[in-house]
Amino acid sequence: MLTVTGLCKSFPGVRALSDVDFAARAGEVHALVGENGAGKSTLIKVLTGVYQPDAGEVTYNGTPVRFATPLQAQQAGISTIYQEVNLVPLMSVARNLLLGREPRSRLRLIDFRRMHREAEETLRSLGIRVDVRRPLRELGVGAQQMVALARAVAVDARVVIMDEPTSSLEPREVSTLFEVIRTLRERGIAVVYVSHRMEELYEICDAVTVLRDGTVVHTGRLADLDRLHLVSLMLGREIGEVRREGLTKFAGSHDAAAEPVLQAQRLTARHRLHDVSLSLRPGEVVGLGGLLGSGRSETARAIAGALPVDSGRVVVAGAPVRAGSTPAAIRAGISLLPEDRKTEGIVPGLSVRENIALAALPGLSRFGLVDDARIDRIVDTFMKRLRIKASSPHQKVGELSGGNQQKVLLARWLALHPKVLLLDEPTRGIDVGAKAEVQALVDELADEGLAVLLISSDTEELIEGSDRVVVLKDGAVVRELTGDAVTEDELMRAIADVPEGGPHG
Amino acid sequence: MADVSLARVTVDRDRALRLLQNYGVYGGVMVLLVFNFAFTAHFASAENFRTQAVQVAPVLIVALGMALAIGTEGVDLSVGSVMALSTSLLSLYLGYGPWIATLIAVVGGILVGAANGALIAFVGVQPIVATLALMVGARGLALVLLPQLKDVRNPGMAALGSGDVLGIPYLVLIAAALALLVAFVVKRSTFGRRLLAIGDSRPAARLAGLPVRRVLIVVYVCSGALAAVAGVLATARLTASDPTSLGTLMELSAITAVVVGGTPLSGGRVRIGGTVAGAVLIQLLTTTLIKHDLPPSWTQIAQAVVIVGAVYAARERGKR
Amino acid sequence: MKHIAPLRRASVRTLLATGLVTGLALTAGCAKSEDSSGNDKASAQQEDPGQVVASPSGGSGPSCTIDSYGGSKVDLKSATVGFSQSEKEANPFRIAETASIKAEAQKRGVKLLTANAQSQFSKQISDVQDLIAKGADLLVIAPLNSDGWEPVLRTASAKHIPIVTIDRKINAAACKDYVSFIGSDFVEQGRRAADQMIEATGGKGEVAILLGAAGNNVTTERTKGFEDRIKEKAPGLKIVFRQTGDFAREKGQSVTENLIQSKPGIKGIYAENDEMGLGAVNALKGAGKKPGDVKIVTIDGTRNAVQGIVDGWIDGVIESNPRFGPLAFQTLDTFTQGQEVAQDIVIQDSSYTESNAKADLGKAY
Repeated sequence: MLTVTGLCKSFPGVRALSDVDFAARAGEVHALVGENGAGKSTLIKVLTGVYQPDAGEVTYNGTPVRFATPLQAQQAGISTIYQEVNLVPLMSVARNLLLGREPRSRLRLIDFRRMHREAEETLRSLGIRVDVRRPLRELGVGAQQMVALARAVAVDARVVIMDEPTSSLEPREVSTLFEVIRTLRERGIAVVYVSHRMEELYEICDAVTVLRDGTVVHTGRLADLDRLHLVSLMLGREIGEVRREGLTKFAGSHDAAAEPVLQAQRLTARHRLHDVSLSLRPGEVVGLGGLLGSGRSETARAIAGALPVDSGRVVVAGAPVRAGSTPAAIRAGISLLPEDRKTEGIVPGLSVRENIALAALPGLSRFGLVDDARIDRIVDTFMKRLRIKASSPHQKVGELSGGNQQKVLLARWLALHPKVLLLDEPTRGIDVGAKAEVQALVDELADEGLAVLLISSDTEELIEGSDRVVVLKDGAVVRELTGDAVTEDELMRAIADVPEGGPHG
Repeated sequence: MADVSLARVTVDRDRALRLLQNYGVYGGVMVLLVFNFAFTAHFASAENFRTQAVQVAPVLIVALGMALAIGTEGVDLSVGSVMALSTSLLSLYLGYGPWIATLIAVVGGILVGAANGALIAFVGVQPIVATLALMVGARGLALVLLPQLKDVRNPGMAALGSGDVLGIPYLVLIAAALALLVAFVVKRSTFGRRLLAIGDSRPAARLAGLPVRRVLIVVYVCSGALAAVAGVLATARLTASDPTSLGTLMELSAITAVVVGGTPLSGGRVRIGGTVAGAVLIQLLTTTLIKHDLPPSWTQIAQAVVIVGAVYAARERGKR
Repeated sequence: MKHIAPLRRASVRTLLATGLVTGLALTAGCAKSEDSSGNDKASAQQEDPGQVVASPSGGSGPSCTIDSYGGSKVDLKSATVGFSQSEKEANPFRIAETASIKAEAQKRGVKLLTANAQSQFSKQISDVQDLIAKGADLLVIAPLNSDGWEPVLRTASAKHIPIVTIDRKINAAACKDYVSFIGSDFVEQGRRAADQMIEATGGKGEVAILLGAAGNNVTTERTKGFEDRIKEKAPGLKIVFRQTGDFAREKGQSVTENLIQSKPGIKGIYAENDEMGLGAVNALKGAGKKPGDVKIVTIDGTRNAVQGIVDGWIDGVIESNPRFGPLAFQTLDTFTQGQEVAQDIVIQDSSYTESNAKADLGKAY
């Protein structure tokens, strides 16, 4: 139905897709999986006309096509359902469903009776029951998505692309959604399904294509691929691969004290976290494992007070921390290095110096006035210790390289003398040299008695850097790897939900 | 200004643009001064400079508060109405003496600022909407308190409006002192640093544990207080409280001064020196056109040209 | 690190709310403004001097009778009159206008219904319809706009209710949709201001005009009258400066400050309303000028401006008469008795100069 061959797409400095072949067949649900940066979204955007390919061919219904705009792709019959439904929330379900093709009466006015009837028929044929007269926004997210799907089908879509459709749905809504997807399959529509949830993939998908670093590493029938193998393909690690020491700069184990300095107890946030508990001891690096969307960043943010939780609490050194307040968490000694360094970490327009001093300002000032001499001393110390390369402390942080930006952020937190350091993807997007430096630094800090929580999509970094690994899946802790079990094999088994020590791929 | 930057464009366009952004407003002021010295009769007199300084003082004081609000990626549209409220309160309480009346007027400004800040920081209303609401509300309140123009005959207020120290009018001294104070606060205080961080990257500031809400409230309180002070000074100068017309379109003049002065609307930067120069530039422009008796519509067109020029210069800066 | 007591959402809100409420209570409760003796507007209305029609014939142009308008004779004494004011009574003109209508109704013992549109035209339309519904037999309207009166006029003509509009005209057929318009002649005001300026300056030298708000018919007409008369009667007077003061004191002051610096030789300033004129006085005082150095002529006739003549700063004030009461009721009376009235009635504006300012200060509004 829709195939691409030899697809290449580059962005300045990055090769997002190279030589990708992909085929969505009629009456088939095709899973598209891969970790962050694997090229899924780029591929989808090429398929839907958002991006133009640099090389390669898109064939649709047997003829080569080139969609210049998303509209063209839509008119050709390729519909995309995004996580955020792109419909008009204030209009009725029926209006949304028939937007732009409303049945008209003789006077060119909208014929509401007919519109409601047609809308109801369309929805019923897909097994969806909602009042089509109600405004869309009064419906649940799931029902809204259903309407979006119905609309896609109603405009005679031949290919439906779904990007993480279940991420904000209740289990009941998910099963309804799957019913609809099955109906679509029976009607001979090609469905491309993007998700990280293993269960869903195996429940609904027929074929799978695994992307990694912009290339296709596997494509074939999903039933022929077991879970463990799928995880290993996504992460790019072989099962049973000999563990090579020294690839990363982590030294490995640390001597951890017995008493935990931080305890997260049954953290729960709707749709994101379910009863996540973990503890960190001083001098220990605990890894947080799991696939994209498993709740790793959410856990870190919840501990740091940056994600409101519905229940559960965080205890630091025996004292509970007020939930949902970043300043409270910081005062308690929790520091978070956020995943999105550029928008949530650095303040790009301020200098290296101001960025380092930012969080520690109250301690570096008298009567509300900044003590410049003390700031200079601290900034100087950290710039030397972390080897921050900047033309001067007054250079804007936005002008630094990724690695140096990350070091500036680390310095900002270290200046506060935290007890707990939460590192969310500390080495993503920084060059090899800086990566090694950051890894060595994390080790050093743990040795000095800091409790470190490490999140990394780089399994190798995670395994080698951590003393223990807590594995998350769909927002819940599924296993904790300790001692000799801290291996990539076990991590992948945990993610694929295969019992410990189970059979190899 | 134009000649200098044109010459450099060929050499280094980026550098020229940065110079234009940072110093264009000072260049503009210089050009207008030179033009007036050359072509305007009786321009080079102490009396004239006094007049210009006195006329610019209220706008300048309001623009200082506006610069803070814009520095947090916000805006304060209620300043003109706060001036009106301030003049109403002043007139209403002048029986207690000028000091107490001034104090109450400033407290009024602070309350409006606190309401602005609370709407923005706690309720999460967009600054432009929140301050628009207070702009309407404060003007209404001012007119309820004092429905029409009322003369101010208090000798203390009259002295404030027209008195001087060593030939420098009180109004100018107060405006200069406030400009220095605000510049000092922005440069040297923790509050100033936090304000800039919040304006530059709100999520980063929040994750760094900065008291975002408190800083926002203080910013709008400062803006309200400064506008109230400007209202008191304008009243003293006019020797009358006129809540019906005092401060109308003041918010636009203040925003113009700030933007022309090189403070980007995207926040994260506050240029007090530039703001002062921006206010002076607009004042000189208006004066030049009045002194040459050009039609008033020309003033508006000239202001538009200056704003477009400033926004053009700021365009590249936005693409950081 | 300094520990700051956490700001709790709720407590902050309560605090702010309490603060605002207290603030309001304070302002309402214990305000104490400056001593305001001699500035009491209410007392001024006690001695309403009445009103004279400018042209001796009792009006100009075509006239109107009840027969041609339709409807039947009414005795004004037993009738109910509705009055619709356009703007809030927040400036001396509107205050005097409403007070004059009320005083005249009381004097004649006529039942009066009033409404104020608060500068909202839609409100004025519904105001007038309300007045009709409440049983007004005759209407006096101070229109906010000239256009958009069709719905009201239709209702009124169905009931044959005579309408007199004051201070602003409406765009409709006189003696069909409404009976008469009573108002000032702004061009004439400008001419008379020119006469006073010529007298004050001796007809020689340079003068300046402080224009009203741009695009306002009052501004254009007052300017036209002034300029035409100067050209015609005193070619020695040169108008060298025309800048807008937006009818506001503050703007009049700052423009005048610039004027007297760039044109130190200016002999006279014509301000198109009193407020700008008072701003000009402020500017002259600030520049260290003496009363009489620069001649000032203004239009409106507010108490403050007339006081300015007494103090010697202002040389002449042309009144724009707001006291429409006597004339409006007289017109209605004449009309309802079946006699003819003029369709356009120009109200007599008096003027104030050094000779009568002190004596007539009580007349100013």
